[in-house]
Amino acid sequence: MARAGFRLSLHRREVLGALAAAGAGILLPREAHAFGEEGAFNPRPLLTGKARWEGVRTTAPGHWSVELEGRTSAPAHRSPRPVRADEPVLLAEPFVLWGGDADLPPLTEREVSGLRRFIALGGIMLVDDFAPETGAFTRGAKRELARVIPEGAVIPIGAENVVFRSFYLMQRAVGRVEGPAQLQAIVRGGLPQVIFSAHDLCGALAEGEGGPSVAITPGGDRQRELAVRLCVNIAMYVLCSNYKDDQVHAPFLMRRRAPGDEGGSGKPAPRPPGRP
Amino acid sequence: MSERFALTGDLSTTVVVIACALAALSLGLLGAELWQRRKVAKRAVLLAVSGVVAVLGLLLAVLRPVAVTSRGHTMGPRVVVLTDVSRSMDLPGSGGTRRDAATRALEAMAGRSGVRFSVFGFGEGAPVPLSRGARDARDGEGTQGSRAPESGASGQGAAGKAGATPGAPGDARLDPRGGTGAQEDVPIGAAVAGVRPALRSDLGAALEATARAPDERPAAIVVISDGRLDRPTAAGAAAETRAALEPLSLASEAPGGGTGLPPVHTLAVATEGPPDASVRAVRAAGAAVAHQPVTLRVEVGCSGGLTCEGALPIAVRELREEGEPTLLASGESRVDGGQGTVELPITLDRAGTRILEVKLKAPDGDRLPENDTRYVAVDVARDRIRVLHVAGRPTYDVRALRMWLKSDASVDVVAFFILRTPTDKVKALSDELALIPFPVDELFNVHLPSFDAVVLQDFDAEPYGLTKHLPSLGRYVDRGGGLIMVGGPDAFVGGHYGRSAVARVLPVSLDIGEAQASDLASFTPRLTPAGQAAPVLKPLLDLIGPELPEMPGTSVVGEAMPGASVLLTHPERKTPRGAPMPVLALGEHGSGRTIALTVDGSHRLLFSAFAQSSAGRAHGAFWDALLGWLMRDPRFEPATIAPKGGCIAGEPTTLVLRTLGLGTGQAEGGERGDQGGPGNGAIGGAIEAVVTIKRLGSAAVVRTLRAKVREAGEVVELPAGVLEPGGYAATVEVVQAGAEEASAGGAAPGTLSKGPATRRDFACERGGEEWADSRPDPERLKAIADATGGKALLAADAEKLPLPEGTQVLAERQVSALAPPWVWTLMAAAALGLHWITRRRAGLA
Repeated sequence: MARAGFRLSLHRREVLGALAAAGAGILLPREAHAFGEEGAFNPRPLLTGKARWEGVRTTAPGHWSVELEGRTSAPAHRSPRPVRADEPVLLAEPFVLWGGDADLPPLTEREVSGLRRFIALGGIMLVDDFAPETGAFTRGAKRELARVIPEGAVIPIGAENVVFRSFYLMQRAVGRVEGPAQLQAIVRGGLPQVIFSAHDLCGALAEGEGGPSVAITPGGDRQRELAVRLCVNIAMYVLCSNYKDDQVHAPFLMRRRAPGDEGGSGKPAPRPPGRP
Repeated sequence: MSERFALTGDLSTTVVVIACALAALSLGLLGAELWQRRKVAKRAVLLAVSGVVAVLGLLLAVLRPVAVTSRGHTMGPRVVVLTDVSRSMDLPGSGGTRRDAATRALEAMAGRSGVRFSVFGFGEGAPVPLSRGARDARDGEGTQGSRAPESGASGQGAAGKAGATPGAPGDARLDPRGGTGAQEDVPIGAAVAGVRPALRSDLGAALEATARAPDERPAAIVVISDGRLDRPTAAGAAAETRAALEPLSLASEAPGGGTGLPPVHTLAVATEGPPDASVRAVRAAGAAVAHQPVTLRVEVGCSGGLTCEGALPIAVRELREEGEPTLLASGESRVDGGQGTVELPITLDRAGTRILEVKLKAPDGDRLPENDTRYVAVDVARDRIRVLHVAGRPTYDVRALRMWLKSDASVDVVAFFILRTPTDKVKALSDELALIPFPVDELFNVHLPSFDAVVLQDFDAEPYGLTKHLPSLGRYVDRGGGLIMVGGPDAFVGGHYGRSAVARVLPVSLDIGEAQASDLASFTPRLTPAGQAAPVLKPLLDLIGPELPEMPGTSVVGEAMPGASVLLTHPERKTPRGAPMPVLALGEHGSGRTIALTVDGSHRLLFSAFAQSSAGRAHGAFWDALLGWLMRDPRFEPATIAPKGGCIAGEPTTLVLRTLGLGTGQAEGGERGDQGGPGNGAIGGAIEAVVTIKRLGSAAVVRTLRAKVREAGEVVELPAGVLEPGGYAATVEVVQAGAEEASAGGAAPGTLSKGPATRRDFACERGGEEWADSRPDPERLKAIADATGGKALLAADAEKLPLPEGTQVLAERQVSALAPPWVWTLMAAAALGLHWITRRRAGLA
């Protein structure tokens, strides 16, 4: 879990962990994507300040990729690496996942500059609040993003938005917690560029060897499944943009979408050769 | 020469008058005196004689008479003769062709003495003198199949053709011997016959040029024509003629308040046309836009006594690169009063210049079959570019391309991305999915022609049922469609396109032997010399410079196909023949164009640390140019080419080539030269433009022309020889000299030196617009003559033209004294002395 905020004192394990991570960063070769994986979805965790990517949710991005690859034709990176806001590698790919469970310290100027470049080039950011009960991280992220995108107003996006039909037809947002039915977003050029989730999507995705790492609230496999579907939709939105807004899809989607329809007819989906 | 006497050679008239008056007064006084002294009659006669002699002697001594010798000649009036040299003058006229009749009329006028004729041919634009230069140029074409551009005072050929040097009126003279001037010793008839027929009959422009010329004002203008003119129009012939000649108006000096214009006499070379049924005009109701129906209005006519009973069948077909033309529409026109009209709706799918054949089935007795078929070049515009974007799976590369396509308001994109494969487990019911069936059959069976371009991005043809549609995709390209294949694991060989109909149209071979379909190693593409120079990469290179971003591997392809141009290559990977493997190749196939981009990392131009320097604009610049080149956007063409002044079948045709982007002539991988940036500057190496002319339908190469090019923007005229009626495609390739030989010899780098090709379709007609209506129009000639007080006659009556009289011009004058002054003085003194003596003897004082 990425812990936002300064810590005046560091534990020994944290120091060792940081050193190990730094050493790994030196020893590991530069991340190289093979042909065909270059454009694969890569849910890179975004780190700011002194935050580190640790905790039970560290498996969430990898599991996100697994679910995406298993359910769709989209390629994905199984082991996404965290990226810092002030690193040039931030601009290597157009998606980052910024999560946390607490308020975060102000971004440095270098971080603001890096994120500003990321947004200016068209990058998409998912802000996932790991502790939506308090909402401290979301408030802090909005505050800092206001420095990055001063003109960006946060607005709610609901089932009418392409994010909710980029692969699955979804009526509402849901994550580890049920949360609000809508997501929020900073929309630029008619498309959500920063998506705020107050549902702890990473919590729903996180899995250990024995199964899910974080309990679902209020609970149930169905909620976890819907959270995974929302994550798949977000990934497909990142990869396809507003593809499902194209006119060619409209008659199909209008027939299928009905109020409260989440279960369908109960018939299993056929296996067509391929589905756009 | 003439000789006369004058009273004086140096005194003014006033002095002469005073002297004469004094002499007369003296004589009067003498007479009065003698009358008073009439008593001395015996001496009166002697006194009178001596007195008169004395007075005259004194007068002559004052005036001193001279002999004046002068030399001069009669200056004939300047008469400008405007002879129609348009294509319609080759139609039957009075006793042969109309051109023959014009020649005879000129020769008849040549017998008129005392008239200075300035003979011009009019067709298109300013008139041109019918000089020896024109005849020489035509002879050159006949023997060499080429026409040298004329220039200067002696080179006014190609009368009326676009781009011909406008003649300076007054250069050519028709002298009584039948020549065209003192320096011209050729019969005027030969000069007229030697002029290349013009595609228009613009008498209005000829009159305007004559009126504006800084030459001597013509005393009269003679027009020799069949009256089938573009200008003046039939309806406004009188007014338009007067307006054209307005600069010559002398209204203030005209007696009786006349127009003051020189009279325009007309000589009609024909009064009747041959029995003929023809397609007189083909007009489109509005601009032709791809995929949108447009109505062609076809006007037909029957004349010359030919009866067109019932309806005349008409068919409109589009000429194709290969094979039979495609029927677009057909109908029948009912002829009433010698003319008829039919409106035929057609839809053209491909933008650019399209050649239409409009064919009339003429009745028996038609003596002019050449105008039964018209070839019309239609410039088809695009309202929007319709692009079919098909991707095998969603990736950042797909996202980047889609976002660019959607951001361009001029692009109408229809996208289908495969989001789910047969092995994916969606864990949902079908109603929970926002997925639709991939309408592959509907797309490629029904809607394919409606797209301007198809983008296949990392798309495997086999599992999604595209394989069976690949032949129609190949035909789509043949008929003018654009195709881009973008790399990825499922593209090119990996996408099961090898040995398919699509492999035939791609600019790269998919024969890679035993090699893997993909190369996973990262690399940085390398610019070829052609890539450095190609206008299609100029926007990208202007943004990022010559260094491209690193690519994460590539689809493996084979050699560049013949005629393709390779702009980017792999730095290490080789084709089976040893050439650097193409990474970006452009090619023409049939009427369409194709692009092969073997990498899936062009999104790095949009989003990466590399892209930051150009704010991500490099991706848009790259794809805008690729799609623009595919759609033949002039911005990305390496050259322009067009027939000079149109093309007349059976007559020599000249193509005008203008190069826009040229290479540096450096070896592959070399740095761009200081002078040789893309599309500008001089060239370090030898550059050659190779123009290939293919006949539409058979795709047979009828000409291959070559020209050395020294700098971008240079205009080169290429003689294309004589072409038959039909449609043609002129393709220009800018290559480094010797590149083709190297390529033919197996040296792969030769293909690297060949830049992208550009193409222009054009049509050649036997008679064209000038033969569309074979009827002469003597009424129009009469209206022109009447408007200026001229006479309208037949060409056979040329000698009856009422031309103005000439004026005498003094060229030399010599004055010589009849006697020296002292002789006149002595004679006067002697006469006075004799008269004084006589008076004394008569007793007078």
